[in-house]
Amino acid sequence: MEIRDPIDYPSALQRIGNDESFLKELIDLYIMTFESKRKELLQALAEKNFEEIRTIGHTLKGSSANLSLLPLQEISFQLEIAGEKADIAKVAGTLELLELEFERLKAFVSAKA
Amino acid sequence: MIKVLIAEDDSMSRRVLEKHLRDWGYETVSAVNGKDAWREIQKGTIQMALLDWIMPKMDGAAVCRKIREENLSRYIYVIMLTIKDQQKDVRKGFAAGVDDYISKPFDTDELRARLGTGKRIINLQNQLLESKEILEKLATYDPLTHLFNRNEILDLLQEECARADRETRPVSTIMLDLDLFKDINDTYGHHVGDEVLIEVASRMRKVLRKYDKVGRYGGDEFFVICPSCGLKNAERIAERLRRAISSVKIRTESGSIQATISLGCASSENQRQASKEYLAKTSDKAMYHSKNKGRNCVTLL
Repeated sequence: MEIRDPIDYPSALQRIGNDESFLKELIDLYIMTFESKRKELLQALAEKNFEEIRTIGHTLKGSSANLSLLPLQEISFQLEIAGEKADIAKVAGTLELLELEFERLKAFVSAKA
Repeated sequence: MIKVLIAEDDSMSRRVLEKHLRDWGYETVSAVNGKDAWREIQKGTIQMALLDWIMPKMDGAAVCRKIREENLSRYIYVIMLTIKDQQKDVRKGFAAGVDDYISKPFDTDELRARLGTGKRIINLQNQLLESKEILEKLATYDPLTHLFNRNEILDLLQEECARADRETRPVSTIMLDLDLFKDINDTYGHHVGDEVLIEVASRMRKVLRKYDKVGRYGGDEFFVICPSCGLKNAERIAERLRRAISSVKIRTESGSIQATISLGCASSENQRQASKEYLAKTSDKAMYHSKNKGRNCVTLL
């Protein structure tokens, strides 16, 4: 199984107009946003607020897609579905995957710097 | 530069849109939710809007409906940002009055092209608004002297009469025309005649009070409205006008010309009501008396 990079760098660069420093700015912005969304997710999970989980999953799916963060995009989509189905086990499981993939992204970005 | 509102709650998408639009030469203003978006629109300087469909506080559809329902001073071209494959959103969007839509994640070139279409429409609107302004000016002002035209000065007279009655203060009028203007035209030509008219108009404006109104009534006839003014004061103003024209020759491309004017004054001060017809007729009659008396003088009636 081919392990994809957390970010499809060439695709992301092309998508935002080939400006490397701007891409860096956006990735930093993504990381910041993700961390605040993660807090909201944990809160929503504690309250069993599935509608909120679905919404956050949906938002993360969108922002991941913007930066060609394909694995994160897919996992966010899974989270959105789990929220929609009110499947607490699936939500918990997906959250774990999300965390792992996020750490992978941060590592990838630090290595590139 | 066309000003575009970007209403998008996701900070990254917003940032990307801002950068793209600025790179393409648009001026951008951002809003993070529908309420902010509406507040920006009310400022009246937005020409195009990119509205995310789903936003907190007021969604894209609600903002668009508000834009279409309120009679804003200019048309705003609205592009909706939708999620791919949500056909019902697209239908709702058009029902709410959007001009176009693009689905996220959007293709950059496609976005640029769709914005370009909006730009064409906005430019068309700007041309229309400019023409409207020019037409309105033509309807109100005399193109040669830039004084009010006959229609407008008579409308203003009506207003001033109503005001005079309301405030129980008199309004006076002065009818005047250039003496022997026909001779000036015949001797020097119409072009020089125009130069004289322009100079006369300019000198009159300089000696009148800030709230007096002057219009070009006919070819070489002018009409002045003096609010809050009785007959004695009107005479003073008329004298000032007479001297302004006769005391200094008018410089034209054919040399210096001595011009004079004959003036007639009327006032509402002894009338029961201020009447447009009375004032116009009476100051006109008074002006004719000035002509018969030998011109270059003021008559009161």
